[in-house]
Amino acid sequence: MNTFFKYTIIASLLMTIFTITSCCTSNPEPEIQSGKLKLEFTHQIDGQEIIFDSMMYTNEAGNIYLVSEIQYFISDVTLHKNDGSTILLDGWEDIHYVDTDIAESGVYALADEIDLGEYNRLSFTFGINEEKNNTLMFVNPPESFMFWPELLGGGYHYLKLNGKWINELEQVSPYNFHLGIGQIYHSYPDSITGYIQNYFNIEMPESVIVISDKETTTLEIIMNVENWFKSPNIYDHNQWGGDIMQNQDAMQLGVENGWDVFSYKTK
Amino acid sequence: MVGMYFLIKQSRMKLYIIITVSFFAFLISGCEDKSVPTPYEPTPYEIEIPFGFPTNLNIPVDNPMTVEGIELGRYLFYDGRMSGRTHPDSLMSCATCHRQERSFEAGVDHPDFPGGFPHGLTGLQTPHVMLPMINIVWNSTGYGWNGFLYPDNPVEEMRNIEDFVRLSVLAEHEINGDTTTVKELFQTITGYPKLFEKAFGSNTITFTNIERAVAQFVRTLISSNSKFDKYMIGEVQLTQSELNGYVLFTTEEGADCFHCHGGFGNPLFTTHLYYNNGKDTEFTDPKDRFSITGDPMDHGAYKATTLRNIEVQGPYMHDGRFATLDEVIDFYSHDLQVSPYINPLMHHINDGGIQLTPTEREDLLNFIRTLRDDEFMTNKDFSAPDKFPDEE
Repeated sequence: MNTFFKYTIIASLLMTIFTITSCCTSNPEPEIQSGKLKLEFTHQIDGQEIIFDSMMYTNEAGNIYLVSEIQYFISDVTLHKNDGSTILLDGWEDIHYVDTDIAESGVYALADEIDLGEYNRLSFTFGINEEKNNTLMFVNPPESFMFWPELLGGGYHYLKLNGKWINELEQVSPYNFHLGIGQIYHSYPDSITGYIQNYFNIEMPESVIVISDKETTTLEIIMNVENWFKSPNIYDHNQWGGDIMQNQDAMQLGVENGWDVFSYKTK
Repeated sequence: MVGMYFLIKQSRMKLYIIITVSFFAFLISGCEDKSVPTPYEPTPYEIEIPFGFPTNLNIPVDNPMTVEGIELGRYLFYDGRMSGRTHPDSLMSCATCHRQERSFEAGVDHPDFPGGFPHGLTGLQTPHVMLPMINIVWNSTGYGWNGFLYPDNPVEEMRNIEDFVRLSVLAEHEINGDTTTVKELFQTITGYPKLFEKAFGSNTITFTNIERAVAQFVRTLISSNSKFDKYMIGEVQLTQSELNGYVLFTTEEGADCFHCHGGFGNPLFTTHLYYNNGKDTEFTDPKDRFSITGDPMDHGAYKATTLRNIEVQGPYMHDGRFATLDEVIDFYSHDLQVSPYINPLMHHINDGGIQLTPTEREDLLNFIRTLRDDEFMTNKDFSAPDKFPDEE
């Protein structure tokens, strides 16, 4: 093998290595130590998973009722540390929709990489805050089906909890326990003079939430449906009827009762 | 000899250089996307999303929309030879029932189907009346009154509009034909093989490509230019009566239509979901939503139709029991029937309905009429072609 041929082979090999490394691979990135968080939503009444469309529950007011479906938004998921610092996850925009008719909506895998360590609390907004809650920000179903009419304040329902109860006349009667922007009426139902933002913050009980390196911590977020009707206000379907979107007094009870509707546990 | 030596050496050098360059060309090409020449180049067609409409479209990955596919689909949609027959008495196409002037429904004034109850070539009536064939590129929850065609159906050939084309050809109460005869007939008609080649790259006609072409055309049937659409973007104002009707439409204390039929925040004017809306107390229809889901709460449940152009789309309800919108509104106002399967959104059920006054009834009707889109119903792009391919 002559010298020129050897040089050609060597040059070829060097260029091959250069070509492969520059073209088909990328430079290794510095390793970041972080983990992720996933929320899995479940729905219970009196500590048991809901059996939908079964007239088998009794609320604090003594109403016998069933639940057909639950649809709601949560946003502003935040982790809290003992030192008072907080991390707002997935940025400002992210709003998650949960629908008991759509199994995959029950899992909220947050995209953010989270610093390792122990956190002692989780909080989130139930519904969507005023700044974010803009009509037509969701154009695609199923979120778009949650729209709250412009006349009533616009944006989106925070909650649709639909079911039936046995009313005072022993009739099976539908209820639509819907929360969203409330209205102040000058003369009901035609003249609206103002709106009330009914979204509220859910502060989960303190617990230890550990974020470990390259792992996803999963929390089960449980909606305890009976608590919507329980404390501090006893909510009676016979008093408030089947629809409350135009009844701020009724929605206010729901807002005040929402504080302990959710509980959670690490899976 | 020396000259010969240098000649050989030069040749070897050239050879080494050629080998080296070729080798790198190979390596580099291995890292880049290979562009495989396509046998045909149809023109991609992009749906323009109207204001407020969803951006997610139900277009199967194996049937992308193209200008050529849509053009072919339009011919097929209107060509009575879709029946696989050529005798004038045996022609039937999609357009036989789906009339543009009735927003692609039959309409109560259909010349061949009195009252808007279609029947097939055999004379058998369809089990249900027709659904609006508009804006269905945004329907992802199931086609048909009970949603029997849906995207994740385990039965692959029962998923989308393409399948509806085939089922319509086969159905006893529609064309009562067979797919082989249909494709073979079109193969013999001058002009069609060339159109298929332009649309799908082969002049050998398959029924799959017939399905695809018709489905592509149907997906272009978009109605989004009603008076209400213009109101949404601030181009026109509604009359006081229409505004009053709009308030009734979108309030729970009013008529509460919006939870199922949309509004400003859901301009499809349907959720494409299924509801028992209180028509009956007994449920014997073997083709209700229950027949698909097996969920007892779906007894007597059917798809909520879009209210766009609903004014011209009678008869109404799955069985066409109401000929006019007035009858429909009277039903929701006073005649709801209680059953264990009533959807909970029907919260006025124990009052028999929403109890509209005559003025409210008129206002609600006037609002619903603002959803009529006359431009859509006269749009030449959706009309019957002047000539079929063999008449060119």
